[in-house]
Amino acid sequence: MAFAAPNVILIILFTYRPLITNIYFSTLDWTLGAASATSVGLGNYVEFFSSPDAANVLGVTAIFTVTTVGGARALGLLVALALNQKLKGRTFARAVVFAPYVLSGVGVGLVWLFIFDPTYGALSWFLRSLGQISPQWVNDPKLALVMIIVVYIWKNLGYCAVVYLAGLQSIPPQLMEAASLDGATSFRRFRTIVVPLLSPTTFFLLITSLLSSLQAFDIIRIMTPSGNGTSTLIFDSYVQAFGSYNRAGYSAAISVVLFAGLLIMTAVQLRFVERKVHYS
Amino acid sequence: MSKEYSRKQFLAVAGASLGTLAVAACAGPSTDGSSAGKPSASVDWSKIKPAASISFMSSHPGKSRDTELKLIESFQKAHPNITVNLITGGANYEEVAQKFQTSQAGNEVPDVVVASDVWWFRYAVSGTILPIDDLLKAVNVSSSDYVAGLISDYKYDDSQWAVPYARSTPLFYFNKDHFKAAGVPEQAPKTWAEFAEWAPRIKAANTSSPGYQNAYQYPAIAGYAGWTLQNVLWGQGGGWSKEWDITADSEASVRALQWVQDSIVKDAWAGVSSKNAITDLQAGAVSATISSSADLATTLKAAKEANMRIGVGFLPGGSASQSPVCPTGGSGLVIATKTSPERQLAAAMFITHMTNAQNTATLSAATGYAPVSEAADISAILSQTPEFATVVDQLKVTRTQDFARTFLPGGDQELAKAATRIMNEKADVKATLTDLKGTLEAIYTKDVKPKLKS
Repeated sequence: MAFAAPNVILIILFTYRPLITNIYFSTLDWTLGAASATSVGLGNYVEFFSSPDAANVLGVTAIFTVTTVGGARALGLLVALALNQKLKGRTFARAVVFAPYVLSGVGVGLVWLFIFDPTYGALSWFLRSLGQISPQWVNDPKLALVMIIVVYIWKNLGYCAVVYLAGLQSIPPQLMEAASLDGATSFRRFRTIVVPLLSPTTFFLLITSLLSSLQAFDIIRIMTPSGNGTSTLIFDSYVQAFGSYNRAGYSAAISVVLFAGLLIMTAVQLRFVERKVHYS
Repeated sequence: MSKEYSRKQFLAVAGASLGTLAVAACAGPSTDGSSAGKPSASVDWSKIKPAASISFMSSHPGKSRDTELKLIESFQKAHPNITVNLITGGANYEEVAQKFQTSQAGNEVPDVVVASDVWWFRYAVSGTILPIDDLLKAVNVSSSDYVAGLISDYKYDDSQWAVPYARSTPLFYFNKDHFKAAGVPEQAPKTWAEFAEWAPRIKAANTSSPGYQNAYQYPAIAGYAGWTLQNVLWGQGGGWSKEWDITADSEASVRALQWVQDSIVKDAWAGVSSKNAITDLQAGAVSATISSSADLATTLKAAKEANMRIGVGFLPGGSASQSPVCPTGGSGLVIATKTSPERQLAAAMFITHMTNAQNTATLSAATGYAPVSEAADISAILSQTPEFATVVDQLKVTRTQDFARTFLPGGDQELAKAATRIMNEKADVKATLTDLKGTLEAIYTKDVKPKLKS
């Protein structure tokens, strides 16, 4: 107990205390910066769930999360399968694929914003050379969501690829050889050996990617500062407190909704999805 | 010697700790209503000695960091016992506001802060800034030293809350070469109807230029769409609001924004910038736009380097009104409440120095912001930059912005959302503005009306 105390104290101070404080703030009608506030009980939650924006924010959060978690894992697996082959320059390719994951989200957002810019962007230049006009990536809310999904997948695909690669390399080669000798096609081997044996990796990536996607902020903030079409729960929480609304209590309530969502999803995954994971 | 804890005991200890924490964590704002609103304590400023050091948080509007440093240097020369620390609070007014407001949770707040037209009122209502009437008297400065229309913008509850600093108006910027190629007069149009006649010709004459997009580019909505659109609304006799009465869905307002939508969708001579309309103009991608006068110096410099002829003019009028159709904008300087009287007095000396006749002229010359002091001598600026005359002349025919944009928390954000629907998503104008009215009225009723002094 004494050995764990320093860590426990730090966790209590910097994780649980802000969490509890935030729950308390969510019960207040509090303008950011003001010295006083009014207690409103569950009023902020009622207002959020009955506001016309709630459906949109929850919808955008769901689309962003499902596509980025699914996209990064699917593409990451494909890249891992490619990088698992004995190819020339494989080590260099592995480093290149992983690089975006360690780059700053702000830097990534700025570079991709330049690429997508319909006036001076690299993509618009390419499209113009083909006689086409660049779509309004930032102005059109639907395209703005597509844009940040593409960038977020690009940034996180390396992480999934490297984790999957580690998973692929831990599959005993004898199993694959035996299956080949029995006449199994490569697709059959993938479906019946690789996918089941990768299930712990897939499960691990599901949890970590889901948590990370639901908390994605930097790229959204840089590429679409107004949240036009890209307002996820965490971004809406930021805008409500630090944008011109200044509603710190309401923002805290949105954060609690996000926290509850994360908690429920993680619990459901541990309780139900993990049952389908093959650890050996 | 260590003691073994069972799982049950550990959970009990952790639970008790969290319980204690829960009680301790419930700090934050007071909920008994005791500390809100205007500071009541009166101070005899004649007995206060100015502090030796104060801080100034700025976004360096109009790329003015070097100018601000020069002005601080001149202040320190005039007041050798006071040091001013310049803090970069962010790239724009919103980022400064974010830092200033979050600093209220701690004990160290900046003494002087740049506050835009949208922010000062919220600070005043939440009690984070000080009314400065007595402080101005204490440093022998009268509000009549300032341009009347600019200093009166910061009046609320019979008090003065800020002095004007980097004050701007939007200007009509246009590419003279593009206008010449189209055979239209090389000047800003008097009305939007006139520009609508020119625009198809301008677009047709320049469309073969590489990367050319539109005859006119509306400013990026993520910027200050609600600010510049007031020009079109007022010209057509509409507006976002008349004082606290929301008029966004009036017949004139709907007509004005329908015209905006038609210019983009039906007539297709206008577009909306993704990032910054003035850089689109500088890149030759568009022939005209509206942008802040704070962009004047940098735009003219960029045009000179690119061998491009850029002109500026008054904002065009509309069918109902040709003047005044130009909103004021920009920022003032406010003094934080949560500091000592010594620092507040030093802050008052500093803000009046930054905005005196000589220093406002220095800032205007470096940026394009309007001079805020009545006594400012701008003859040197005019001889160097004749286009600056447009800023000065237009300042005389400006109109105070609609309350819906400046005084409603989140008002500008809601205006931008409605503008996005109308301009980018081709939504029904009337329905969008009706929804907007409902949203703005709800904000007023819930967040503003209860806090207004009668």
